[in-house]
Amino acid sequence: MADLKLPELGENITQGTVTKVLVKAGDSIKKGQNILELETDKAVLEVPSSSDGVIGEILIKSGAVVKVGQPIFTLAGSNAPASAPAAQAKSEAKAETKPAAEPAKPAAAAVPGGISEMKLPALGENIEKGTVTKVLVKVGDTLTKGQNILEIETDKAVLEVPSTSEGVIKEILIKAGTVIKVGQPIFKIEGGATSTVIANPKGEAIPERTTTSVEIASSPKTAPRNDTTVSTSMSIRKDIPAVPSVRLLARELGIDIGQVPGTGKAGRISIEDVKAYCKTLNTSRPAGGGISVASQPLPNFAKWGSVRREPMNNVRKKTAEHLSNAWTSIPHVTQFDKVDITELEKLRKSISGTNKKISVTPFIIKVVAAALKKFPQFNSSIDMATQEIVLKDYINIGVAVDTDRGLLVPVLKNVDKMSILQISDELTAMAERARLRKTTIEEMQGGCFTISNLGGIGGTCFTPIVNWPEVAILGVSRGSLEPIYTDGHFIPRLMLPLSLSYDHRMIDGADGARFIRWVCEAIQQPFLLDLNK
Amino acid sequence: MSSPIQLVVIGAGPGGYAAAFLAADLGMEVAIVEKETNPGGVCLYRGCIPSKALLHAAKIISEARHAEAFGIEFNSPKIDVTKLRDWKKSVVAKLTGGLGQLAKARKIKYFQGEASFINSNTLKIKKTDGTTEELSFQKAILATGSRPAVIPNLPKSPDIWDSTGALDLENIPENLLVVGGGYIGMELGTAYHEFGSKVSVVEMTPGLLPGADRDLADVLYKRVKGMFAKIMLETKVIKMETSKNGITVTFADKEGKEFKEEYNKVLVSIGRKPNSENLGLENTKVKVTSRGFVEINDQRQTADPSIFAIGDIAGDPMLAHKASHEGRVAVEAIAGHKVAFEPQAIPAVVFTDPEIAWCGLSELDAAKAGREVTVVKFPWAASGRALTLDRTEGFTKLIIDPKTERVLGVGIVGVGAGEMIAEGVVAIEMGAVAADLKLSIHPHPTLSETIMEAAESFFGHSTHIYKPKK
Repeated sequence: MADLKLPELGENITQGTVTKVLVKAGDSIKKGQNILELETDKAVLEVPSSSDGVIGEILIKSGAVVKVGQPIFTLAGSNAPASAPAAQAKSEAKAETKPAAEPAKPAAAAVPGGISEMKLPALGENIEKGTVTKVLVKVGDTLTKGQNILEIETDKAVLEVPSTSEGVIKEILIKAGTVIKVGQPIFKIEGGATSTVIANPKGEAIPERTTTSVEIASSPKTAPRNDTTVSTSMSIRKDIPAVPSVRLLARELGIDIGQVPGTGKAGRISIEDVKAYCKTLNTSRPAGGGISVASQPLPNFAKWGSVRREPMNNVRKKTAEHLSNAWTSIPHVTQFDKVDITELEKLRKSISGTNKKISVTPFIIKVVAAALKKFPQFNSSIDMATQEIVLKDYINIGVAVDTDRGLLVPVLKNVDKMSILQISDELTAMAERARLRKTTIEEMQGGCFTISNLGGIGGTCFTPIVNWPEVAILGVSRGSLEPIYTDGHFIPRLMLPLSLSYDHRMIDGADGARFIRWVCEAIQQPFLLDLNK
Repeated sequence: MSSPIQLVVIGAGPGGYAAAFLAADLGMEVAIVEKETNPGGVCLYRGCIPSKALLHAAKIISEARHAEAFGIEFNSPKIDVTKLRDWKKSVVAKLTGGLGQLAKARKIKYFQGEASFINSNTLKIKKTDGTTEELSFQKAILATGSRPAVIPNLPKSPDIWDSTGALDLENIPENLLVVGGGYIGMELGTAYHEFGSKVSVVEMTPGLLPGADRDLADVLYKRVKGMFAKIMLETKVIKMETSKNGITVTFADKEGKEFKEEYNKVLVSIGRKPNSENLGLENTKVKVTSRGFVEINDQRQTADPSIFAIGDIAGDPMLAHKASHEGRVAVEAIAGHKVAFEPQAIPAVVFTDPEIAWCGLSELDAAKAGREVTVVKFPWAASGRALTLDRTEGFTKLIIDPKTERVLGVGIVGVGAGEMIAEGVVAIEMGAVAADLKLSIHPHPTLSETIMEAAESFFGHSTHIYKPKK
């Protein structure tokens, strides 16, 4: 008797759920014969036997989750030499059991969403898609270069999109509510260069994990392959029931249309099929490489009471994506400290007039700007791809702003060249714009360091998440009067708790402590700060 | 020499000019090298367009004669050959002139002359004005097209025409022999027949229009059999000699029996050859097949990364609309778009009377591939529109995958088939199933209804045909 183990099913497959057992005890099986149907996260596969023999006992049943290498049957009377049945069993299942939690490798590395793929002429860095809120032109309009043609809500701002070409609009390929991606055709224009702006492969239209199982031919080798690159050498197969526009979309997304299962009549492949396929490729990417937050199936919440579902807005989606990426890719350390702001408060109150209130934040910004000069490793980014550190010669500080749409982080540029009063004015204006949804994408880019002040709400300490690709963030909580033991007495001092989170890959613990101490000491001596410089 | 131009298109036929125009529209700096004063190529100067002008004239003659059948009699037509020729020329001039304007408007540099490659990024242009110029380029698109194939060792004689000679319409011969029963020979043969020539056809294979499904070609055969003086199938031309009244041709039938016949004119239309010679391709990495076609990939890029090839020089089918589409693919690929030439159906139209048109999978293709298909036909005898035209010899057929019910191919023979086939192309490209065509309302009374009814008959019923239940 030997165990027949679940053979390796493909590079990215470590386990699956048995949907059907195709044989029964006592059956004589041949190598290559299908013995199981297994649903993996990518497809329903038929599993062929890796050896000949008679099935003794079936160790699994329909519904069971089995891992590669796990025994599934006992096998008797195999035609291997009787003296070495164990050896045979070994050869049957050379695959080791991989940890089930190991995330599958990306099934298609070049699937869009990969930022490197995007050609983004007008919308700005890191913007890959947006929801059309308004189409400002109509069919027949003559476009001039630079004319605004669309309003798009991207992750953090509503943008007006200027035309990149001239000509007459023949067809409008998108409409309000459509999620469009950079590179996607938006209009057909006659007599002009076509602008380049593609359907969002991540499929905003698919809020939950798609349950479509991708039925693919019996051999596991035909499961989504790794070679669906964007290269131009994609196979051209005749006789694929997809309309030209869908074939084009697949090509633009770097997907081999021949691999996309069609759900329509006669296997017709729709745009939705291409997106769903793209989604199956995306969900198998490593954690942090996209919206992988909902990768575990959710329980049925309705069991415990009524629930409502609402679509995530773009700010929420982007926040989820951005922060899970930051959280999973950055090893965080948070250093806490307290700074005595008694003197600072006196100064602050003395210069705050009745109609001009200056908060503590501009002072902290100014001090942090100076600290970034002193500790340049805090004003850097890590480029793991090239194994380099990017050191910045400019000092831009982002300030987290709470808005009704969610968290926005507008960036104050070149704060080291601004006076505290200028910073204060700029900060007030910026926060106001953020609340009115007027913050532009440019205003939210280029930050070197972020400050998040929750002191207005309260709390003693918190652990902020580093705003990647920055390497550190300073959290400010609420100041309170504390008895400080000085010269033999307890003196009431106003103490402000600070939390510095940093990327431990870039910043050593001692430097973290030094940085926050330096900041505290600078704030404690506000007379050293020049209000007008 | 100035900095290299972004794109040069060599040959401005329907492939070349479509490519050049799109490239200019996409913002590229473009040059065209072309022998003629204006873009147009064989299609506009010596092919599709002039032949359609003549065929239109021929059709009017034929319909006027046909009208006798329902009580309208005309006197036999007087043909002013000069006027007819001038009208044809004016059509060509108008079209090509218009293209010249379009090229100018797009600020395309137009070199009238012939180009050859010095290397993978430089062309030598022998201009029509006698000067030469070198042009360095980033990308080139070869679109030099094709020319009529010739029979070797023919005597030099003005009485032996190729398609160009026949389109010149220098006169209307009393006797005309068409060598080659392909679409060019059949189109020009039927035109000359209507102008008054006694036309004979000789074809090596057992049928006219080799390559087309037999049932489609048979309808044409039945009609021309009654019109032409003689249709010689499975017959070879052994020899041609100049003689007193023109050309004496020696034939050999399939038993090898030889016979002679004299004709005033002989039209040799035995196919076309790609123009891949004298281009200096040996100075580049471009590869040419034994048949003279340039090897290309899905983006129409040759083995030389800076050179693309489209149209007749890039392979069969040698059709203008295939060339234009390839031209656009090549330019978009050059512009960095992710595109490929991946048509599911390229339509073919023979503009004879009746017209024959097909697209997608033909029955011949299916048989060759051993693919199981269901073929449904709707005879035009059951079409009201065909009856009102008194032309009921046509039919419409669909080639359908029996499992998925997808429409894989469409074939039509009958008047106006060329216009109708576009629906077939769209259906195939859209992955339509038979039910889609059946459920789409077609206008009545038109010939297009025959497509819908053919689809109905796939399901075993059709309004205008009664099939007794088995």
